[in-house]
Amino acid sequence: MKLVLKRFLRERSAVAGAIVLAIVVAAALFGPLVVPYSPIAISHALLGHPLAPSLIHPFGTDLLGRDELARALIGARVSLTIGFTAMIVGIVVGTLYGAISGAAGGAVDALMMRVVDALLSFPTFFLIITVEALTDTFTLAVVVLVIGLLSWMGVARLVRGEILSLRERDFVEAARALGVGPARLLLRHLIPNALAPVVVAATLAVGDNILTEAGLSFLGLGVQVPTPSWGNMLQDALLPAAQSAPWLILAPGLLIVVTLLAFNLVGEGIRVAFDRSIAQDVGAAAAATAEEAA
Amino acid sequence: MSTYIVRRLLGAIPLLLVITFISYALMGLAPGGPTAILTREAHAMPPAARAHLIALLGLDRPWYVQYFYWLGALVHGSLGTSYVDGRPVLEKILEKLPVTLGLIVFSQVLTLLIAIPTGVIAAVRRNSLFDHVSTIVAFLAYGFPVFWLGLIFIDVFALHLRWLPAAGYASLGHEHDPLDHLRHLILPAVTLAIVSLASWIRYQRGAMLDVLGEPYVRTARSKGLSERVVIFRHALRNALIPTLTLLGLSLPSLVGGAYFLEYVFSIPGMGYLGLTAVFQRDYPTVMGITLLSAVLVVLGNLFADVAYAAADPRVRYD
Repeated sequence: MKLVLKRFLRERSAVAGAIVLAIVVAAALFGPLVVPYSPIAISHALLGHPLAPSLIHPFGTDLLGRDELARALIGARVSLTIGFTAMIVGIVVGTLYGAISGAAGGAVDALMMRVVDALLSFPTFFLIITVEALTDTFTLAVVVLVIGLLSWMGVARLVRGEILSLRERDFVEAARALGVGPARLLLRHLIPNALAPVVVAATLAVGDNILTEAGLSFLGLGVQVPTPSWGNMLQDALLPAAQSAPWLILAPGLLIVVTLLAFNLVGEGIRVAFDRSIAQDVGAAAAATAEEAA
Repeated sequence: MSTYIVRRLLGAIPLLLVITFISYALMGLAPGGPTAILTREAHAMPPAARAHLIALLGLDRPWYVQYFYWLGALVHGSLGTSYVDGRPVLEKILEKLPVTLGLIVFSQVLTLLIAIPTGVIAAVRRNSLFDHVSTIVAFLAYGFPVFWLGLIFIDVFALHLRWLPAAGYASLGHEHDPLDHLRHLILPAVTLAIVSLASWIRYQRGAMLDVLGEPYVRTARSKGLSERVVIFRHALRNALIPTLTLLGLSLPSLVGGAYFLEYVFSIPGMGYLGLTAVFQRDYPTVMGITLLSAVLVVLGNLFADVAYAAADPRVRYD
């Protein structure tokens, strides 16, 4: 693990991504405590007359006279929370599904993978919209569940592949010979060894979920106003009155782009770090065998 | 090859069954249902009339029974009629299909025209300034929310510069003018292309790097062939083959992106129809769009695989 961290720190772009993420998270946590404006209270004096960015309002104000920065900071909390919790839902479901499918093998595996194929060969975003529109309830929990429960398929495939190759390894054989039951074998022996690619997938998933949330909220099917999220802030930007206020489009959008970029760079960095340290492990092992032989 | 195509099409049937079943289950299990909106909006609809309507639409049966009725009608070539305007769903969709296909093909052609040369140059001049810049730009573009980019383009190119129409599919008096349609599709197609560029550039660069490392490329170089011939005649042709696979893989997200953009740009295609139907709880139309989207993806995948076999003589499916 230490080796992986060392490798990761050597990837400059990944470290940059991690720093950006740290800043975004810190801003989401502490920003609202510092900014002296309410993200929700409407200013009647400024109603319909959004102010351009200035020293007093660095991101300007929106159509209802609310400070855009205050909204963006609370929006960061909302969007990051959804991205992260939906990731956990998706990763847990995907890991269990893929592991069970891979460990079961045979007809069960074939059937379970058909379902994954079906869901993957479908524009899932349309499905997410359909489900959201039909449930007609937009609490944070529902949005998280819908995004999480419809984004686990890639992880399931990944984990299944790992499990299939792990199943044949000697240590699994040994565990089985020692009388370890199937559930324990799966949870204690197989899944922990399949986690490296899952960590990468999880990092990328947070970014993708933020994007999905933004799309949903933009359509009015996600986080509901007055609670701001980066997605529903863009919803306001669609109103004709917003045309004279381009900062309303730019601020939340750029936050999404930068955050997503950071998650992708970090994910890519972790991938490279894992690959290299595995390569080095194998290299070290080979060197050791060569020495022994000599 | 033709047996392969037939086998693949037959193999797609269970896939389509799974997708339609899942969609039906989701709609059946969702609270409310299509008549909820009728009673909510009109207030006036008496309970007896509502019960009659529910029976008339067959909504009094459990959803899985409804699903089999729906399948039965499908076998006879019917997707049912819309709850909203009573028109056959198939007719409504086929009307919109060319619009969506036009948008998808247009944006895909743009993507390929930009991504393939960019990826190839980035690979040939590996670690050059061009390589780094294109990688960074691709990474950035990948994070653009597709609707956000659309909004910016509308703002800049339609509202401020007035070069292109901001929304819709036809100008007044030009309802059947293909060139006018094309003009309306430029902004959404460019938006969609930019968002999908990232993966294509990276993929093409990777494929080209792989091929450039092959022994036969070294052989070609050591024979004294010019760099131009090595790259274009020997390397590029093989580096294009993996790209064809991506054509199939990227299709679901491409279709999804197109649907979303139709909504942003008010283009009357399948996505606009589908999203409106979702909001109106027009179940037959939603199911029709779901099925046709899945069919579109299956056919696209098949096309990519067949093209793959046609391009690579080593690949044989039978």
